[in-house]
Amino acid sequence: MATISYPIGGTQGKPAKRPALAEYFRWSIDHKIIGVQYMVTSLTFFIVAGALAMFIRWELLTPELDFVSNGETYNSLFTMHGTMMIFLWIVPMFAGFGNYLVPLMLGAKDMAFPWLNALAFWMIPPAGLLMLMGYFAGPAEAGWTSYPPLSTIYSPDGQTLWILSLHLLGLSSIFGGINFIVTIKNMRPAGMGYFQMPLFVWSILATSIIVVMATPFLAGALTLLLLDRVAGTAFFDIAAGGDVLLWQNIFWFYSHPAVYIMVLPGMGILSEVLSVHSRKPIFGYRMIALSSMAIALIGFTVWAHHMFTSLNPELRIPFMVTSMIIAVPTGIKIFSWLGTVWMGKIRFTGAMQFGLGFLSLFVIGGISGVMLAAVPVDIHMHDTYFVVSHFHFVLFGGSVFAIYSGIYQWWPKITGRMLNERLATIHFWLTYIGFLGAFFPMHILGMRGMPRRVAVYDPQFQDLNAIVSVFAFILGISTFVLLYNMVVSTVNGKVAGANPYRALTLEWMTTSPPPAYNFIGEPIPYEDPYGYGTEASKEYLKAMESRFGPPPPAKPAPEAEPNAPAPAPEPAGD
Amino acid sequence: MQNQNLLEENLSREELQALKNRRTGMTVFQISWMMAFICLIIVNWQLRFSYSQWPPPGVEAMNRLIPTVGTVALLISVFFARRALNAIQEDDRRAFLTQWGAVIGLGILFMLIMVYEWIIAPMDTQYGAVFRLMTGFHGLHALAIAVYMGVVYNNARNGAYNMLDFWAIEAGVKLWYFVAFAWILFYAVLYWI
Repeated sequence: MATISYPIGGTQGKPAKRPALAEYFRWSIDHKIIGVQYMVTSLTFFIVAGALAMFIRWELLTPELDFVSNGETYNSLFTMHGTMMIFLWIVPMFAGFGNYLVPLMLGAKDMAFPWLNALAFWMIPPAGLLMLMGYFAGPAEAGWTSYPPLSTIYSPDGQTLWILSLHLLGLSSIFGGINFIVTIKNMRPAGMGYFQMPLFVWSILATSIIVVMATPFLAGALTLLLLDRVAGTAFFDIAAGGDVLLWQNIFWFYSHPAVYIMVLPGMGILSEVLSVHSRKPIFGYRMIALSSMAIALIGFTVWAHHMFTSLNPELRIPFMVTSMIIAVPTGIKIFSWLGTVWMGKIRFTGAMQFGLGFLSLFVIGGISGVMLAAVPVDIHMHDTYFVVSHFHFVLFGGSVFAIYSGIYQWWPKITGRMLNERLATIHFWLTYIGFLGAFFPMHILGMRGMPRRVAVYDPQFQDLNAIVSVFAFILGISTFVLLYNMVVSTVNGKVAGANPYRALTLEWMTTSPPPAYNFIGEPIPYEDPYGYGTEASKEYLKAMESRFGPPPPAKPAPEAEPNAPAPAPEPAGD
Repeated sequence: MQNQNLLEENLSREELQALKNRRTGMTVFQISWMMAFICLIIVNWQLRFSYSQWPPPGVEAMNRLIPTVGTVALLISVFFARRALNAIQEDDRRAFLTQWGAVIGLGILFMLIMVYEWIIAPMDTQYGAVFRLMTGFHGLHALAIAVYMGVVYNNARNGAYNMLDFWAIEAGVKLWYFVAFAWILFYAVLYWI
């Protein structure tokens, strides 16, 4: 880490025109509008599902029932929290990033199928409403995994709405996935082969392959569940000759690859952010790109590690082995990122802070995942808070930190304004400390045997639970710092200019926000999207600056001494 | 191939890009949605292998002869679908309409046979339930695509489509291939394996 500088800020450059607000509320086939529609919708559900998490933690402050009056209500709380966080926040949020960025990064005018893209988005609000309508019918109570017989016999009618909602969301992701694959395969500009694509595009490609191959299994599983609930079949009813493990197998055959749907795009964001803000070429470009594909592929062979305690014991070892193999491509990424940051000229922007946060927390989540992949450990710890801790480390510490990082990184591109960096730092530290305080003690709770999905627990666990809850509230509050920052930036943010971070990928080679159809004239990709620090890349950036105006100055301009010629500011650490 | 050259000479860059995208998109969709059918095959197998005998004792297995007639009808219709696509690529609308009518007719025959099978499948057993699930799921797809092909037939009679503009037909043919391929898998699993 040679120099640490604060590059952000500045006012020069005319702000580009933003799309009219009304555009976001109607059927639009512009991928940038659709991307923002995805993101805003998902953020809304993030807040709703986050509020549910706060209720859960409130209930768990004491070992008795106090916030909720019975266990069923508590069941519905964590069911709705989990389902909405996964299917209405992380998955569509990454789809939003993909929609906004993939055509821009490829120098394309739009996605391959703009109309299908709009359709995929507009399936999400009705799906969210169906999910929420569960509250008028008795919300689903079977957990986000909805194992029968909980989901067939015990759960109220909200479960049926839950199924319909997930059906819609699944179709929406398949349409989105097809669109991404075709766009990436067919619409790259001349001179950009697969191995010149930005790594974010690679990660969206890998994600989309998982989406189109795995999501039909979710559709199949949900159809069976729906028929069992409303049409009198008994596929999951042992008494009638059915098989409860059938659900677990099909559901996890979708849902384990789905966890990579939820983290691969985050890894893509991280690859962009770390390289740009370290001012260094990404370390091991090909290995990062191919490890995404490896994760996508191996992800299909590990589903039964969710069923170690219900599975035929002979099958445990093979699934243990495949699950541990997943750690190899993941490790390749982690070390490549460390290699990227190593000796870089790091700029601690909001995006970079959250990127490094991701890196540190995801390692912990990954390692606890390897622990759980070991059969003896899993048999001891399954369905305890250790599992809760593990998947929050990968889904919050991984996915959500990556989303935050992406928001800080591309907010200037999307809105044409900078986010406030001081608020970003406050946001980061509140989130980081809140996160660690909330989720790290859960490891200990799990080791000591506290089961998950219970509202009433043994009083010996109360101390740690109280700590967890207090930090969870801090984590909840931290979100509002980001929202406040967004409002302040929209109203009164500094003008970003076309390329405030001096990045080399194509989305920065146009105005912020980009005009309709993205580029004026044909965009010219730089030969290496991560070739920071070379003379050629400086020339390229210079040429682009002359087209779109320079980036904001590296530091808030010091009071210039009168008569002293201001030295030309050298851009931070190129 | 000849047709591809013709398209490249006569269509604009944007139109060619759109056609290429649609073709790739169709392929991705076919692979993707085939997984839903494979999912049901796995459902069938998991249920079946939890029994020592399949169909379960006291349940009679479905007759193989009638569905075989339907399967042959479907395969012949695939042949006609391919010929119909060739016909429109040679701008022969009359031949196209004849072939396309044959596809729809054979498709309806297949579906009628499957409706009969669906009705006579044994009630109240997992064997019958999973049979109805699979044939019903397949039948809904066949029906939707047959309706689409009817719309295409009607448009063609009113003078739509020619050797440069036949994507709607190509899509129909590819979707019909999809239906046929899925059925071959289901036919094997439901009646023979």
